[in-house]
Amino acid sequence: MSNPTQTEVMRTVSESGDLRRFSGPWFRELAIRYAMVIVMLLIIAFFLYRSARFGTVDNVTTILVAAAPFALIALGQTLVILTGGIDLSVGSVIALSAMAAAVAAKEMPDQIWLAPIVAVAVGFAAGSVNGFVVAVMKVPPFIATLGMLTLASGLAFVLGDGAPINGLPAEYGQFANTRVFGLTIPVILMIIMIVGFGLMMRRTSYGLRVYAVGGNPLAAQIAGVKTGRVLYSVYAISGALAGLSGIMLSSRVISGSPNLGQGYELDAIAAVVIGGASLMGGRGTVWGTALGLLLIQTLNNGLDILTVPAYWQDVIKGVLIVAAVAVDVWASKRRRS
Amino acid sequence: MKFTSRMSRGFAVAVAGAAALSLAACGAGDPAAQQGADESGKERVTVGVSVYDMSSFITEGKEGIDRYAEDNNIEILWNVAKMDVSTQATQVDQFIQAGVDAIMVVPVQADTLQPQVTAASEAGIPFLDVNATLNNEEVAGSVQPDDVAAGAQEAQMMMDELGGKGNVVILQGPLGGSGEINRGAGIDQVLEENPDVTVLAKDTANWSRDEAVNKMKNWISAFGDEIDGVISQNDDMGLGAKQALREAGMDDVPVVGIDGIEDGLNAVKNGDFIGTSLQNGTVQLATGVAVAAAIARDEDVDNNLVYTMPAITQDNVDDALEHVVTDRPAFLDGLSELIAENLETGDIAYEGLPGQE
Repeated sequence: MSNPTQTEVMRTVSESGDLRRFSGPWFRELAIRYAMVIVMLLIIAFFLYRSARFGTVDNVTTILVAAAPFALIALGQTLVILTGGIDLSVGSVIALSAMAAAVAAKEMPDQIWLAPIVAVAVGFAAGSVNGFVVAVMKVPPFIATLGMLTLASGLAFVLGDGAPINGLPAEYGQFANTRVFGLTIPVILMIIMIVGFGLMMRRTSYGLRVYAVGGNPLAAQIAGVKTGRVLYSVYAISGALAGLSGIMLSSRVISGSPNLGQGYELDAIAAVVIGGASLMGGRGTVWGTALGLLLIQTLNNGLDILTVPAYWQDVIKGVLIVAAVAVDVWASKRRRS
Repeated sequence: MKFTSRMSRGFAVAVAGAAALSLAACGAGDPAAQQGADESGKERVTVGVSVYDMSSFITEGKEGIDRYAEDNNIEILWNVAKMDVSTQATQVDQFIQAGVDAIMVVPVQADTLQPQVTAASEAGIPFLDVNATLNNEEVAGSVQPDDVAAGAQEAQMMMDELGGKGNVVILQGPLGGSGEINRGAGIDQVLEENPDVTVLAKDTANWSRDEAVNKMKNWISAFGDEIDGVISQNDDMGLGAKQALREAGMDDVPVVGIDGIEDGLNAVKNGDFIGTSLQNGTVQLATGVAVAAAIARDEDVDNNLVYTMPAITQDNVDDALEHVVTDRPAFLDGLSELIAENLETGDIAYEGLPGQE
């Protein structure tokens, strides 16, 4: 008796269908298509309502500056996740490349320009190892990059003899703190990278191949895509971007710390997932990641402005990450039906 | 693992027994022939050290420990717990199984390691907490900074700077750690005496420079020019805050820190900080090892020592920089002697800085 009969279920479904039609197909369509954008706008509206200072130009800049190092690793992570993989090592690779750059700056203060090159090269090398282990040795990405997470963190401590590198020359700060057109270099890099990667994934055959490998590796291979090369490349790119992120982070505070970037990989993965990517691969966009990233950074900023204690911030962020993805899953189901 | 360690301990006992027999056979009291003693005349002891993580402070401390150990016939087993309570517990377990002569821990968290402390005391191994407290009655010795006094000292510097009036923000260490709790208590004491000073915001940046810079930037968005001063519970976060202030064009807002790391001392020297409190890791952690070794050797030593951080301002920052950075080799050369003298007087933070008695 308590079980609804089939006709009852069908009636409920059709009724709710009627209801949805009643609420207006135009609005519904919009809500479903841009669920994440709407969540973001609601959050922004809330902060604007609660604090007059949230919406200032200075504060928007503050959010962008904080977002930049995360944006770089989130972009790399997007590519990796699109292939159905995951890169857990980016946080540690940030630390390793920052330490390497700091060592270079300390040893050769006259050749300060070497620091960013060293950082990116070290990041690229670490990413290449990941790529090789995943693509050639066929180790599952989770395991391969988990190994690199530990390895790179260990090497970061080795480089500093177990310690942060202090007393760096002031010029070390120029990479992150120089302003061009009123924006600091990391922010400009972030914008260039997001637009660049966005276009690359949409407009180039490389982008298509990445999607193909993640969507259906076998079909991609049959269609002539060299899946191994594509796999290797996404990890190498992710590593190089982590290196870039590392030099930006450490240059901003003119210090190399082996703990730098600890846990950042989780924020990067969260940004990608909030942006609508599927961890199974094949689905997701660079624009989505950028949106997910801004959502997290906006939360960090807005909650600080409202002086919400750090532990509550974590609670709120955790809930919102799951809620945002739940809304997106719901909306994408509606999109398909 | 356990079996082999028992075997090796058995082996060690056998060797020691053989050595004792041969000594008895010789009937000679030559101290140099004593097992394990070196030219310092001290019996060789092994001290297991587990630290919470490699902060700047611990790194400097490790140099002091290594030097002191080298000069005083001590073997150090060094472990880093990477802020993980259970990693630290495992490391201490391993020290106990390895049969070290003393254990020194810089704890990750105050309310941990209860079973390990008990196991150590049952095994007759003296257990010391250094730099941060363990809430435990059974520890054999303690070398602790007076973090309450340091918090009060930095807050007082800020009150003097602000003339007892204005708005401050406070950057805290990891919430729940003894450093954060005690330094916070000191800061609160002074703030209570200064009712005209308002705390606009107070939150953790986990001792980290890059976390502090973003936290501070967000607070600048929230409060802007209302911020008259930054009280940071350590130098690293203070340096992050200074960077944020610089980015916002608010260079004149005073910042105060604690610890006296290299970059912090330089910040005092060039006016970025109004001051800091020197917690000389080299002296403090080496003193910890000195006390651990002394207890292991049954020497007469005060096993409960307090390190009162000297205030560092423009007046004495040059000398502090010499000790910590620029003339470090000379300072390390005199370290063993300094510690020996300090253990006599009981003022273990003394290092001959102007203003210190």
